[in-house]
Amino acid sequence: MAEDPDIKFDHSLLGVAHSLGSFSVTREMIVAFAIATGETDPAFTGEGAATESGHDDIVAPPTFCNAFLNIASRPDIRLEFGDTGFFAGQAIDCLASVRPGDTLLATTKLQDVYAKTGRSGKMVFVAWETTFTNQRSETVALVRDTHVRRNKRT
Amino acid sequence: MATRRLYYEDAEIGDDIGPVQRVVSGAQVAEFSRVWRAESEPSRFSDAEVARREGLPGPMVPGAMSVAMLSQLVLGWSTTVTLKKIDVIFRQVVVHGVALTLKGAVTDKGLVDGEPQVECDLTIENSEGATLVIGKATVRLPNRG
Repeated sequence: MAEDPDIKFDHSLLGVAHSLGSFSVTREMIVAFAIATGETDPAFTGEGAATESGHDDIVAPPTFCNAFLNIASRPDIRLEFGDTGFFAGQAIDCLASVRPGDTLLATTKLQDVYAKTGRSGKMVFVAWETTFTNQRSETVALVRDTHVRRNKRT
Repeated sequence: MATRRLYYEDAEIGDDIGPVQRVVSGAQVAEFSRVWRAESEPSRFSDAEVARREGLPGPMVPGAMSVAMLSQLVLGWSTTVTLKKIDVIFRQVVVHGVALTLKGAVTDKGLVDGEPQVECDLTIENSEGATLVIGKATVRLPNRG
């Protein structure tokens, strides 16, 4: 995506890895996330038949890493555009199972900042890529999410 | 929750996944927000007035919940499904308490580095048939025998 010189933000953050910290995964967290998202599969909720799936214990649902993305603080890119923002999209590569007892290290980097113009006018998209790695240095998930800034409709 | 066992050989382009009907209540969003550790003060996710001030039709369902629900749709297709990738775009706001239809369709299948993979398109629609969320998923299905 071509860089838009009219978008003002901290360009020094582009492509720079930033630690979001480490997160200890508990069985309770997995179950709470699963139930809160309406999950009914006992492999994730731990209700009754988890061992029938062949796992020793429950595993985390594939989008479980989202539980940490909200509490994790990303760097402020000091974007000077728009007065409201929304989550525009997300891609998750599910690379390995997450289980109770795991410790996940999250590292994020600003991938891209670009503008598009739609019916509601100009929008600026901010794309982040976050890598979650477990205590065995295995990458368990690669999360690319995009947030859009625009001006409120009047 | 899935009950059938599909194999790679069973999946054909055009096969339906779902549909599944869901309604996300304000109480469910509140519970998700607690787990998600979202702010506890009134927000666009919890409060109709805040949502209205932000130009929204009502309190919204967090995007992370929509991604989770679409992953459940895919995993609910078969006990043998392994989700490799999900890619979702939020086109319109998903608000609390409305009937949602989650569905998918197989768009491609093939061996990738020897692994049997199936590609799917995914959507969340409201009761008027408006598409609120679109997405794609890549799943692995085992070979028969």
